Amino acid sequence: MKIQSVRIFTILVACLSLASAALADPPAEPRVVDFEALEKAPGQRGGSINILMSKPKDIRMMVVYSGARLVAHDQNFSLQPDILRQVDNDGNKAFTLHLRKGHLWSDGQPFTTEDFRYWWEDVAQNEALMQGGPPRQMLVDGAAPEVEIIDSHTIRYSWQAPNPLFLTALAGARPMYIYMPAHYMTQFHEKYADASKLEARIKQQNVQNWASLHKRFGRQYRPENPELPTLQAWMNTTSAPSERFVFKRNPNFHRVDQTGTQLPYLDEVVMNMATSSIIAAKTGTGESDLQGRYIRFDNYAFLKKGAKEGNYKVLLWPSGKGSEMTLLPNLNVADKGWRAAFQDARVRRALSIAIDRAEINETLFLGLARESGNSVLPSSPLYRDEFADAWADYDPDKANGLLDEAGFDKRSGDGIRLLPDGREMEIIVETAGESSQETDILQLIADHWTDVGVKLFVKPTQRDILRGRVASGETMMSTWEGLNRGLATADMDPEELAPVSPVQAQWPDWGRHHESKGKAGEAPTLEEVARLGELYEAWRNAASRDEKETIWLEMLGIFTDQVFTIGIVSGGLQPIVVNNKLRNVPEEGIWSFEPTLYFGQYLPDTFWLEQ
Amino acid sequence: MTQEVKSALPQEGTGELPHFVSDAPFDLRSVDKLTPEQEKVYFASQMTLMWWKFRQHRVAVWSGVFLLVLYSSVLISEFLSPWNYQTRHSRHIYVAPQAVHLFHEGSFIGPFVYELKRKVNLETMQREYTVDASKPRRLSFFCSGEKYNWMGLIPADNHLVCAPKNAPFYLLGTDRLGRDMLSRIIQGARISLTIGLLGIAVSFILGIVIGGAAGYYGGWVDMIVQRVIEVLQSIPTIPLWLTLSAIMPASWSPILIYFGITIILGLLDWTGLARAVRSKLLSLREEDYVLAARLIGASPARIIGRHLIPGFMSHLIASATITIPTMILGETALSFLGLGLREPITSWGVLLNEAQSINVIAVFPWLMLPVVPVIFVIIAFNFLGDGLRDAADPYK
Repeated sequence: MKIQSVRIFTILVACLSLASAALADPPAEPRVVDFEALEKAPGQRGGSINILMSKPKDIRMMVVYSGARLVAHDQNFSLQPDILRQVDNDGNKAFTLHLRKGHLWSDGQPFTTEDFRYWWEDVAQNEALMQGGPPRQMLVDGAAPEVEIIDSHTIRYSWQAPNPLFLTALAGARPMYIYMPAHYMTQFHEKYADASKLEARIKQQNVQNWASLHKRFGRQYRPENPELPTLQAWMNTTSAPSERFVFKRNPNFHRVDQTGTQLPYLDEVVMNMATSSIIAAKTGTGESDLQGRYIRFDNYAFLKKGAKEGNYKVLLWPSGKGSEMTLLPNLNVADKGWRAAFQDARVRRALSIAIDRAEINETLFLGLARESGNSVLPSSPLYRDEFADAWADYDPDKANGLLDEAGFDKRSGDGIRLLPDGREMEIIVETAGESSQETDILQLIADHWTDVGVKLFVKPTQRDILRGRVASGETMMSTWEGLNRGLATADMDPEELAPVSPVQAQWPDWGRHHESKGKAGEAPTLEEVARLGELYEAWRNAASRDEKETIWLEMLGIFTDQVFTIGIVSGGLQPIVVNNKLRNVPEEGIWSFEPTLYFGQYLPDTFWLEQ
Repeated sequence: MTQEVKSALPQEGTGELPHFVSDAPFDLRSVDKLTPEQEKVYFASQMTLMWWKFRQHRVAVWSGVFLLVLYSSVLISEFLSPWNYQTRHSRHIYVAPQAVHLFHEGSFIGPFVYELKRKVNLETMQREYTVDASKPRRLSFFCSGEKYNWMGLIPADNHLVCAPKNAPFYLLGTDRLGRDMLSRIIQGARISLTIGLLGIAVSFILGIVIGGAAGYYGGWVDMIVQRVIEVLQSIPTIPLWLTLSAIMPASWSPILIYFGITIILGLLDWTGLARAVRSKLLSLREEDYVLAARLIGASPARIIGRHLIPGFMSHLIASATITIPTMILGETALSFLGLGLREPITSWGVLLNEAQSINVIAVFPWLMLPVVPVIFVIIAFNFLGDGLRDAADPYK
């Protein structure tokens, strides 16, 4: 009886899915993915893969992996329309966006300029929904764009001055969303929804007001709401909290292969949650069909061992970060003695050249990484040897000389240098406490620094606590990854090199000053930092690519010569585990959040399972 | 001398019962006289009796010897270990445990190790070491090797055994930074073994003072102490450890943290002992000799300390031996969870904490070796405690 009912149910589901497949369609003008150029083989639809994640908020990784953006970076890191059919760029001042005709949201409703209008008029400019006004990438010198809706498939954004950030922001790993499914979101919007219904909803969801309700149901980057229509390749069908999120194919996805078969090939991506420390172990037994996150280079040997039984292969992709780990001296630390010390370029340089990077490389990276500061990677067009090598050669004598010269020539009985106020030079480095590799590196650095009379203590905390402590100036020095845009091109936002945000642990106060437009924090007191800020503004107003490149290079020059961040090694390798049956995953790639969106740039919608 | 007695009843007509008369001189105290053997037993001190009884428990004796050896090694850890526990050999990372050879190409040249050749296998991304059998490196004994500060105080460079400079001599392999596991285990013993003793000291002082007061005074003192103990015992230990170790600031030096952990372990462990002390005292304080002491005017502290506690000292010793392993395990557990001791101090718990990744189990199993001494020490302490408990009451 039971078996029979199951069978009937299966048939029913099969009929239904057939029906929905028949209803579902790519847009009339789909994006035809050029398989030959990408050296991919056309595949067949169907199948389901498992991936492993650790935190509930990791479901945003599906939006990153999925990689559907209004415009997206291609393999050469230039921007191409993706969700959009075409973009007309008029000197970075005016952008005309052309939508694909017949493009539908995952729930079958049309995707039109109304969705852009709703976001711009009713969300971005709504005080309750966006307290700080529209995102900064939408503003040029504080001025909002003029938005013209030409027809249901064409919309134009224009500014008085160039806005080079606009397109890059749309292509970001965490993109700027300038559209929202209006047909769905209006039911949560004060302006459109029935007041009594809205009130009941607010009560039922136990939130403060309609704005919280709107935010809770409208998160596009973190698709917690399974009912929210999406344009990504797969849509979430599981409500949080859950240990297992099932992402089903978006029947209206806008990409097709050359034979006209709609992508994605995979019917389903199942995301299972596990504690981050056991993800490598689980992956090693074949529990994940596509894994990069939460496995590390030191797991490689183990993963390789299980490859045969687990029926997977292990690839090694170079990391796209500017540095595997950087030390960030806090130039705005509350402690006066240390603030003066860290603001002295000689101290930062001395600390950098006192590190024996070769030993770290040999010990933790098998000698396969590159000993360099925190800069862009060799595959970036902006790479110059002098940036990467600036103050990265091990030279303890020179370091001692620099520190003596900077006025730290007095030493205690144990040979530890003294600050002018008589305290010993003891640097407490705070870490997010997430990786043992970090602790190992710091332990080696502690030894290296002892040789130049500086003591180092490690204090592991938690990521959020660390952020708070950095912002309030309590943290002397912290560790973080290097530049996210290690593969930067001149068109990419150079924000990581300039004081623009309080999140930047090397100058949180100066960053706050910029972010709050001078209302909070303090203006940079160091000439070089102020110059970086000016250059950043200049980049934002630059019209030509050459100009942008000149600015980028000057910024990189100052940033690396002043050693605002102390990079250790770059070019680490990331193991990627791929099920043997999963096709079209490139053997060689770059593992980075920005600009390759981890797997996103390699089009996971073209991955397919050999039956 | 003795005549055969045929029947218990007198025979008819004889009128005299068969009897025996000893002609030895009469000694009134002959019954009280002891043979030398008996004398030894009856006049032996309690400690001697315990020792005799204890000696019969063979396993306990061997456990005791084993522990004695380990504890004396703690005094000369630096001398016993071939390297300093923090020395990194960056050319010898993740070397598997190594063999010591005696014969090179058929001829005896004394204990030596072979040079290692290192290669990175790009297929598995692992360092592979092959023995270079053409280069024997002889070991020397009672030699000068790496410099160290004995107990952190006295500079010295004597080692039991040393390898020539840069020669790979790692009996138990090396870890991810190329540190010698054997040296780390030997020097980790210092912390792991002593933390038990220190913890016990704290918990004993607390247990005897608080339990003694409760038992001797009774009444409301007893009442309060009992309730406090109940509350303390009802709190699950792991969350309590977590909170207490979170309180210790990170800027404390590792040695302070070590003392902090010891005190935490001691503070949590006195309750059981306090109860035992209390119940013993409740019964002993009714004895006549206590009353006598009181009548003479002895103070409560003197009565407890001089007259009552010796009455069950043996019990205390036995219970201490059984509690030390709990302390060692406690430290191991805390450090394993990353809450206890931290680098650069090393202890068996710290070593195990470093070994808790899947890589270690699958690829570098020798990093799990610190488990072995932990197991042996715990077992030894348990046998020793067992023997001591049996011995504690030798009249039985």
